[in-house]
Amino acid sequence: MLNSDDDTLSVVSSDGYHEVSRVHIGRGPHHLIASLDGRTLIVAMSGSNELVLIDRTTGVESQRVEASDPYQIGFSPDGKWFVAASIRLDRIDIYDAKTFQLVHRLPAATMPSHIAFARDGSIVFVTLQGTGSLIAIDLATGKDLWTVPVGPSPAGIITLPSGTLLVGIMGSDHIDAVDPRDGSIIRKIQTGNGAHNFLVSPDGKTLYVTNRVAGTISVLDADNLQVTGTLTAPGGPDDMALSPDGRELWVTGRWHAAIDVIELASGALKATIPVGRSPHGIFVY
Amino acid sequence: MFDAIQRVIEQIQGTIFETAIEPVLFRLGLMDWSEDAFDGVEFALYGAIAVALAYLLFRPLELWHPAERWDDRRAVRTDVVYTLIHRIGVVPAILFLVLAPIGVMIDSYLRFQGYIPRDIEKLVTPLFDHPFATFLVYMVVLDFAEYWRHRLQHRLPWWWALHSLHHDQRQMTLWSDDRNHILDDVLAMVWTGTIAMLIDVPPGEYPLVLIGFRLIESLAHTNVRFGFGGLGSTLLVGPRYHRVHHSIEHAQPPFDRTRGCNFAVILPIWDVVFGTWRPSAEFPQTGVAALTGQAVRCGYLAHQLEGFRRLGAVLVHFLDRRRPGFVAALPAE
Repeated sequence: MLNSDDDTLSVVSSDGYHEVSRVHIGRGPHHLIASLDGRTLIVAMSGSNELVLIDRTTGVESQRVEASDPYQIGFSPDGKWFVAASIRLDRIDIYDAKTFQLVHRLPAATMPSHIAFARDGSIVFVTLQGTGSLIAIDLATGKDLWTVPVGPSPAGIITLPSGTLLVGIMGSDHIDAVDPRDGSIIRKIQTGNGAHNFLVSPDGKTLYVTNRVAGTISVLDADNLQVTGTLTAPGGPDDMALSPDGRELWVTGRWHAAIDVIELASGALKATIPVGRSPHGIFVY
Repeated sequence: MFDAIQRVIEQIQGTIFETAIEPVLFRLGLMDWSEDAFDGVEFALYGAIAVALAYLLFRPLELWHPAERWDDRRAVRTDVVYTLIHRIGVVPAILFLVLAPIGVMIDSYLRFQGYIPRDIEKLVTPLFDHPFATFLVYMVVLDFAEYWRHRLQHRLPWWWALHSLHHDQRQMTLWSDDRNHILDDVLAMVWTGTIAMLIDVPPGEYPLVLIGFRLIESLAHTNVRFGFGGLGSTLLVGPRYHRVHHSIEHAQPPFDRTRGCNFAVILPIWDVVFGTWRPSAEFPQTGVAALTGQAVRCGYLAHQLEGFRRLGAVLVHFLDRRRPGFVAALPAE
């Protein structure tokens, strides 16, 4: 996982629930994802303007690719595009996913934060935290298709199998279900103050939402979007990951410099693991 | 031990933010600022620790062996106000809110032109595996930049009009480091921001070490009869070294006001290299010869207004040379 204020990457044992090592990785690491083939971890370094590629099997850094202020990153499902949002510089960059060559650079007012893709990979949706809106961009042309208001400080966003978008409204207490065709809000689902980010279980049945201000995680049925439970996660819960066996939810606590491990069967806090300052992105494997 | 201390500070920071700051941001619809505010709490906490340590460590020195003794210390109170509002983060927060959007605008424009800043460890690659060494290199580079900013503060009449507020204190103490005009602070931020656009900012892993640097700056202003000796005064700025810079007497040939001496903030090597190093066995009085009375011994707001008055006088003098302007801003003969 990444300690964004410390410029470090922590390796944490999922057996012993302790930090194994912490290494300097560059400036401003915030988010990390797996490559399309799953063999490489890609870390977005917003401060040092690069992507760090790490071999997932060996843990050895394999490459650094120059990229201007990447904050949130993601691959389009068709594997053609790689998108990086720059929350600080109000900009969205669209790269060729195979070569990491910049194809389009768009201004985005303001604070482009989290990203999601249309299921066919043709459109990227980006929450604009500073202006309370959501933007849809055609990836091939780099053109803005629509920009619509969704709610104060929108943060996390995901695409459901139906194509419907879910947006966490961090300045409020709910998530929006949004029609990807025109950005119209279909439904609001109350979760908790500071609704921030999403995680879907591997079987696609359960949806988790971090509520950063409330210090909770809402558990939803992914089919009908009904809230089925609430887990306690104090300390500014942010990004989440499930343990490979699906029994534990690992959550980064931005405000208390630790990862919380929650046992899903009981909802109990199983462990709190101290890491570096402002832990943000997390990847469990 | 340092890890444990830092851990405690992190927990206090998180608790303050979660219980007192974040709920307010949420109610006011300002959640966009949550991460900046979280960093602001950290700044304030480390600032408070630096102030507390400076007082606990250096105030006994001032009582034990002062360079100067004063019956009336009321002039020091203004410097206490300066210190608190700067180091607890009030002034930096205001400057951040005003200047950060401008910085983003410029930085964003440069990115669209294809310019990406390169940090030092990319220019000097062996540094990459040694973050603490990288941090120290940044400190040296920034100290070098501060030396030249300080030279310009004395050299340019309009800048000296502002910087004279820092120098007009005749009761220099451990509290005097932050006695600066707000426009001078703006210029300092622009200066540092420009450097950050060229070589980025130092690694963020060593906030406790930064306290050490702030303590050196406080010690440099401390009213104590103490110096680091001949060799020491080439290695680290100390109370005697900096007192000579602040002295009324240093505006004498060959070190007149525009040339000055002992400009270094932390490392005197810059003064040695650029010919402004002046070792001394003396502990002279501080202040600006032409400035006395209420213009110097006043409260925070009056002192800030006095800075605007001095700047205005210099600007008027530029337009009309017959006007006397701010007398201390005139280049020495």
